[in-house]
Amino acid sequence: MSLTLQNVSKRFGGVVASDSVNITVPKGKITGLIGPNGAGKTTIVNMITGMLAVSDGQISVGGRDITHASADEICRARLARTFQNIRILPDNSVLENILIGFHRHEKCSTLAAILGLPSARRESEKIGKMAEELLQRFGMSALADFPAGGLSYGHQRKLEMMRALASEPEFMLLDEPIAGMNDVESDSLAELFQELASTGMGILLIEHNIRFVSKLCEYIYVLDGGRLIAEGAPTVVLRDPEVMAAYIGGEHA
Amino acid sequence: MTNILLGYQPLFDLFLLHLGMAYSQWLVLRAGVFSLATAGLAAVGAYTGGILVVSLGFPAPVALLLAGLAGGIVALGLSIPLARLRGVYQAIATVAFIQIVLSLNIYASGLTGGPQGLNGIPKTVGTVTLLIAGILTVYLMYTITNSRLGRAFDAIRQNEAVAASLGVSIVRHQTLAFIISGALAGVYGALEAFHSYALAPSQFGFTFLISILAYVVLGGRNTIIGPIVGTAILLLLPEIARPLAEARMLVYGLLLILVINYLPHGIADTLIERARARRLSARLAKSDSVATTATRN
Amino acid sequence: MLLQQLLNGLVVGGVYALFAVGFNLIFGIQRFLNLAHGAVFMTGAFVAYYTVEAGGPLILGFLAAIIISGLLSVLIEIVCFRRLRKSGDAEFGAILSSMGASLVIMTVWQWISKTQVVRFPFDTVPVVIFRFWGLRVSLLQVIMMVAAVVIVMIMAWFLYRTSFGRQVRAVTDNEKAATLVGVNPNRTYSLTYFISGALAGAAGVLVGLAFNNINYMMGEPYLLFGFAIIILGGLGSIPGALLASLIFGMGQTLAIAYLPSGLTTAFIFSAMFLILLVKPTGLMGREEAGILRGRR
Repeated sequence: MSLTLQNVSKRFGGVVASDSVNITVPKGKITGLIGPNGAGKTTIVNMITGMLAVSDGQISVGGRDITHASADEICRARLARTFQNIRILPDNSVLENILIGFHRHEKCSTLAAILGLPSARRESEKIGKMAEELLQRFGMSALADFPAGGLSYGHQRKLEMMRALASEPEFMLLDEPIAGMNDVESDSLAELFQELASTGMGILLIEHNIRFVSKLCEYIYVLDGGRLIAEGAPTVVLRDPEVMAAYIGGEHA
Repeated sequence: MTNILLGYQPLFDLFLLHLGMAYSQWLVLRAGVFSLATAGLAAVGAYTGGILVVSLGFPAPVALLLAGLAGGIVALGLSIPLARLRGVYQAIATVAFIQIVLSLNIYASGLTGGPQGLNGIPKTVGTVTLLIAGILTVYLMYTITNSRLGRAFDAIRQNEAVAASLGVSIVRHQTLAFIISGALAGVYGALEAFHSYALAPSQFGFTFLISILAYVVLGGRNTIIGPIVGTAILLLLPEIARPLAEARMLVYGLLLILVINYLPHGIADTLIERARARRLSARLAKSDSVATTATRN
Repeated sequence: MLLQQLLNGLVVGGVYALFAVGFNLIFGIQRFLNLAHGAVFMTGAFVAYYTVEAGGPLILGFLAAIIISGLLSVLIEIVCFRRLRKSGDAEFGAILSSMGASLVIMTVWQWISKTQVVRFPFDTVPVVIFRFWGLRVSLLQVIMMVAAVVIVMIMAWFLYRTSFGRQVRAVTDNEKAATLVGVNPNRTYSLTYFISGALAGAAGVLVGLAFNNINYMMGEPYLLFGFAIIILGGLGSIPGALLASLIFGMGQTLAIAYLPSGLTTAFIFSAMFLILLVKPTGLMGREEAGILRGRR
């Protein structure tokens, strides 16, 4: 069971942002997607999550076609993502930001919600507890009531992750999750990712940090100018001359 | 002493009535719907209630419910076009709606009494009813905003893309917010009708629209206390200073400019935010858990 | 008869054009809905009136109206909009802020005019009627048409043919990039607001002359009609606003002539609603009125 992109292309008028991309993200493994800036990595994620229309090709999850699925159908297909430019809700507290991630699980009737009936309140309590568990896991329990807009960068990234995890996805698309973090923080996230993968989650990791990617990923894809120029095990791919040429100017640290 | 208090009763009644309308406006803004339709929806409710009682002899409580229903249904109808619009376009469309209601109101003078309005509405609503309505309203606003609906509204308001990626249906939630807001406006419109003996179309025009917006903007758009503070301040100001009463629109205008530019979150919201930030920083400084640098954006 | 109405409508449309183009200039640049535009329009009418009442010639009143309205508009930009440019909630804030300005300006004129309706003295514009092809055109209508056309042409020349005009368009497209090439955005905005206000003021004088009903509330219906026009023409598009104004002017005149009175406004706004639904970008707009996120 995996997330598969088959010959996926994206054209904006005359510009080809993605060119016949083939990617497979298997469950239980961490797959990397790297490439220089502007290569089209976020475009791929946007197409998978339904924010951009696919010009050509097919995207499927476990055999089910999600090429033209709407954003909430994608959510129901158990895909979650984080955003490259952090998109937390600044007006709400950290806890509230996570709570919204549980939206998919909230099933109480609209009337119950409006009137504050016990069924709605019990559900809110339940997800409140689940949110607190996440907070503990990420070591941010003390920040539960903190307004999200005032968090440090690293914490905002973790908040995004907690929110994505709240929907209990089977596949996570992480768009530069450790940008701006120090080594301690990124190491603890690396552990988390490995833990998630071991529980059966399929992870697509977009990152610039080559060391991070090669440590975590069994298989990586390299994108340049919208095209896949290499794929395979990190040790092999990173020695590929074409890949090195794409990263002209040396490694990104 | 009781004389002074009783003297303030009409003002208190007015406060309760306008508070309800303010919440109607507040709710849609919380869901990210840029609607200004409350004035028009209140007119629909007021005239529905008034006509049902005066011309058709309905008992007031039934008319009240039907007025709320009318407001909700009209809102439902409006929400269909509104769902396809965003931002300023929603605002323009709802202003057009108010204007249409005003014109139709004046035109259908056989039904509504035209520019002279509807007269002879028996006064069946007093301070006690309004107080009960007010408490119920605040309770409902509280339960809604603390439920999955309120969370969805918050997400939609701040970032639609994020909301959608979490499975939140934007259309359904904004429509729901609009309908509730419409029903609320309808009910309070009828309450106003049953409280004031008479209705006139000019009551639900631009002065009204601006007043309601001012209540919400001045007090705060994101906390429940916001509308209470905003309505209270704006209704009390003319009482405290007579000259302010004569220049009411001027004062509202100046306040709008000042608040939007210097205190954009509104008085109540800003105070609450600052208090919360102080409390949290103090708490964090004491505990030695995660080292954070709190940056105020 | 129909042709006569169309002609009348065209003249009215020309004046609407002055109003709508000024409105659209601001929206095109900043996506701000300047609700004080109606108040500036009214200011133009009052300034011209008081100048003439004090004994000045009409042409002086006209010039004074244009200049003062322009300056007022710049003041509005500085007080109401400048701080908002950087804020995230700018569009909402702009609407409320300009609403506030409108209230202030209206109240001031209410006091000055003592809530009376004022009218230009009877022969401020001599009553001369030209007849041709079975149609009647008054001198006033000719003046309105000529003034509208001349002013619009001057503005078009300014925006599209001078270097300052290019700066305006540069800032419209991308404020940061324009700064990098040495354009001063504040000055550019101020100038744009001046033009916008001057246009509104000119429209105010012409309307004041045409309908002779100058009062502190006169801007309101025009603001509403202005909405309808710019939606029809397309928010942000100047040529669209021009075209839509003429269509609107004719449509409104016909509606008044042939529809039961009292329904005209309802009709106009229902039509606008329909346009918002069917083609929110209007005739020539380049904006997306609808869902921001969504498949592209």
